[in-house]
Amino acid sequence: MSSQHLSDEAIAAFADGVLSGHARERASRHAAKCPECAYAVAVQREAVWALRAAPAPSLPAGLLDRLRSVPSTTPIRVAPTAVGPDGSAMFAAFGTMLTTAALVPPRSRQARSHRVRPIVMTAAAVAAAGVVAVASGAPASGRQPTQTRQGPTTQVDFVQPSAGVPAVMPIDMGSRIGR
Amino acid sequence: MTVETTGWVPPSWDEVVREHAGRVYRLAYRLSGNRADAEDLTQETFVRVFKSLAEYTPGTFEGWLHRITTNLFLDLARRRQRIRFDALPEDAGDRLASRQAGPEQTYEEMHLDPEIQRALDELPADFRVAVVLCDLEQLSYEEIAATLGIKVGTVRSRIHRGRVLLRQALAHRAPGLRPAEPGRSAEHHVGDSAGARAASFEAFSP
Repeated sequence: MSSQHLSDEAIAAFADGVLSGHARERASRHAAKCPECAYAVAVQREAVWALRAAPAPSLPAGLLDRLRSVPSTTPIRVAPTAVGPDGSAMFAAFGTMLTTAALVPPRSRQARSHRVRPIVMTAAAVAAAGVVAVASGAPASGRQPTQTRQGPTTQVDFVQPSAGVPAVMPIDMGSRIGR
Repeated sequence: MTVETTGWVPPSWDEVVREHAGRVYRLAYRLSGNRADAEDLTQETFVRVFKSLAEYTPGTFEGWLHRITTNLFLDLARRRQRIRFDALPEDAGDRLASRQAGPEQTYEEMHLDPEIQRALDELPADFRVAVVLCDLEQLSYEEIAATLGIKVGTVRSRIHRGRVLLRQALAHRAPGLRPAEPGRSAEHHVGDSAGARAASFEAFSP
């Protein structure tokens, strides 16, 4: 057995059961014979138990409503992601990049210029879905119909295209994805 | 990483909020220690998410939320430290006044363990973040290191130190805690193994 005490970091990791192989064996052997280190391990675990025994705070209902209305209350400074065929500006819904990332796998250097197209198409398609989803408010919830009803008027203002917004924002995802 | 495209429909904003709001609020509350700050942090996190959806890079959405919430909290904690002895911010009165105590606040105050939250609040912000992410959010050391942009060794030592301080602060509660068993096999560890957690966790950034 090593007479050297376990380091603080090893004690935390050992208490959490994330040491493996040789390190775990060594820590296990040492803690079995060293009351000091065994105590330090116990302290770690007791702190965790105390923390986990405390109930989690619940989400205040008013906050949920405020979060739902973030799209209608948050001014977007950057230009919208794309402009729809009818000229209405669209912003990317959550997941746009996730989708485009999958559609545009890393390719050779010469393919770089072609990357823009599928991204733009997908972004526009997804953004359309996003606009629909946001503009429709929170139909599923129906918690506070009076509040969601005010939504669309302000939302319409902010999805309107401003003059000079490019038809399509050139999003160069290639450099990020291809890496 | 690979992403399933077939049949995948991007969630609406409402779905994003419903799925993640509870978790973000819980983290914000554990970090800030009070409802007003937790609400502000949660709201600011979702505003940032909304504003930067276009910059979202493939990775887990949860990891992204953790990073935003945690960094906003650390910014707040640093600002507070600088103005600790100053008066309250000008808008503090307005912000507090605009929040009435709803029924859920009464529930919350009845059910939260104020002693544990106070012990948590007394930890230095950096230790508190590490302990909360590890022990309450159950992130692996690697995930915490990625969230905070620090080394895994630093994560471990902050967790260790944070727990020691926490245990000291709760020393008088010793009978309520599980007693130390020196002879107990060290193989029995707390909760889920972080290793197993890490296995199901995707990388934070590509």
